[in-house]
Amino acid sequence: MKKKRHDIWKNISVMAVVFLVASGSSIILQKTGVHEHITAIFIFAVFLTSILTDGYIYGIISALVGTLAVNYAYTYPFYALDFKFQSNLISAVVMMSIAVLTGMLTTQVKAHEAIKAESEKERMRANLLRAVSHDIRTPLTTIYGASTTLLESGDNYTEEQKKKILKGIQEDSDWLMRMVENLLSITRIDEGRIKIIKTPTVLDELIDSVMLKFHKRYPQQEVSLELPENIVVIPMDAILIEQVIFNLLENAVLHAEGMTKLVLKVFVLGKQVVFEVSDNGCGIEKERLSGIFNGSYHLFEGRTPSSDSKKHNSGIGLSVCQTIVKAHGGAITAENNPAGGAVFRFSLNVEEMNESE
Amino acid sequence: MKVNNKYKILLVEDENNISTLIMTMLESSGYQVIQARTCAMAKTLFVSYCPDLVLLDLGLPDMDGMTFLEDVRKDSLTPIIVLSARTNEKDKVLALDAGANDYVTKPFGAAELLARIRSTLRNYSHSAESGKLPGGKFTVQDLEILYDARQVFIKGKEIKLTQTEYNIVALLSEHCGKMMTYSAIIKGVWGYPDEGSVKKLQVNMANIRKKFGVKPGEATYITNELGVGYRMNSD
Repeated sequence: MKKKRHDIWKNISVMAVVFLVASGSSIILQKTGVHEHITAIFIFAVFLTSILTDGYIYGIISALVGTLAVNYAYTYPFYALDFKFQSNLISAVVMMSIAVLTGMLTTQVKAHEAIKAESEKERMRANLLRAVSHDIRTPLTTIYGASTTLLESGDNYTEEQKKKILKGIQEDSDWLMRMVENLLSITRIDEGRIKIIKTPTVLDELIDSVMLKFHKRYPQQEVSLELPENIVVIPMDAILIEQVIFNLLENAVLHAEGMTKLVLKVFVLGKQVVFEVSDNGCGIEKERLSGIFNGSYHLFEGRTPSSDSKKHNSGIGLSVCQTIVKAHGGAITAENNPAGGAVFRFSLNVEEMNESE
Repeated sequence: MKVNNKYKILLVEDENNISTLIMTMLESSGYQVIQARTCAMAKTLFVSYCPDLVLLDLGLPDMDGMTFLEDVRKDSLTPIIVLSARTNEKDKVLALDAGANDYVTKPFGAAELLARIRSTLRNYSHSAESGKLPGGKFTVQDLEILYDARQVFIKGKEIKLTQTEYNIVALLSEHCGKMMTYSAIIKGVWGYPDEGSVKKLQVNMANIRKKFGVKPGEATYITNELGVGYRMNSD
């Protein structure tokens, strides 16, 4: 409701400004004695109003007012309404038709754009679904194959071989688990549609929780932490932001070849908190960099052999990161460190701490 | 004779495969398992077998697992561990506030489940006998709490905590091994919840961790479950 009223005021003020500018320039033109072009100026004003406002009404109003103004003030007979004079009638008709036609065109274009955006979203969703289903099949094949093998002819294998097969089952179900977590995160956002529910979260507790999960998953990987000394409170859906940080760290583990140092740094910059995950691995290829967060899924697919299950997760992991950060009103970027390695950054707004404690 | 010495666990889970799997895990670790597939069945079995512990899946076909939980809690303190999915932290909080002792997030491994069961059983029998005696002392790993003196030591060195910080640590230690929700801790420490009290609690917890010299992610003495609560580790 509020938004609608806001829109009306916006439209009215656009109309008023355009009309005032038109009147102003007309007066100047009249003063200098060139009044042949005044009608043209008002026609242009009507055209502009129709483009800049929503719907037909404002264009038609401004056409009406324009006709009256031109008729009354700027054309012969001056300062009198006169519709007997043919050229005045013609200019009135012309303005009216311009207002209606332009209004029609812009409304159509706007509607078309909305449909286009909607179908683009649908297309991305379908792509993601297709890619995900395709990816899920690979580990499922391993799990199914391995378990049937063990059930049907387990006796033929040595203990060591069995362990190897079981290990494969474990690894691939692990991958599936993380895939599902990511997908659930996306649906958590879509369910809400309107907005995610943010609760003020203390940075230290967030990092503690993420690192706990990360160490559990990758016990060998050390992460050096650089956190602000003060307590920082950030409104967020903590479960989702946890997923973002986890995905970024995991992305480094899986893709930064030759990495020896993984750093998670958090710092406050004005009213924002910046989270930075950097590694000193192989960095990101230039052509991948631009689309790394969205639609890059197929690129990854084509490049990496799908037998290597470790590589699967990248595409969806990063696009999930972007979806989550965007839903929080933040921004996420990826770049290569000039000194080597990749740097991922995302930022969220901080909450002002009131010193009640 | 020996069978009677085993802990009895009532497993309430409707998924056949998961139920069989958990049963195998538990039986091979020396527990006696009673299986229930529905809420109604669980209620009957609970009364007739008096299990030492209940493993409860929240999504059951006939009734929500929560109903069973609330029903049991009306007249019994039998420890209950809830099985739940990660993204439903609200369900976890609800279950814990309704009296569940802990939860295990699906999917879980055998080691994790068994560890939770062991520590829940131990703390249950422990707290049942100890209460809070005068001159009471609490020890876990290098952490030592002297309740009368309101002092906390790590490796014999005293840690200076504020009033609030001490109250939180003491409260968690009294319920050692149990996952305590934000609201339960707030109620125990401040007495009443207000806007921003979760934030206040998190700030205190962050300070406690720093004073204990624990790096983020180590979970040495206290486990932090974001969005749910905290647990003092029992081992």
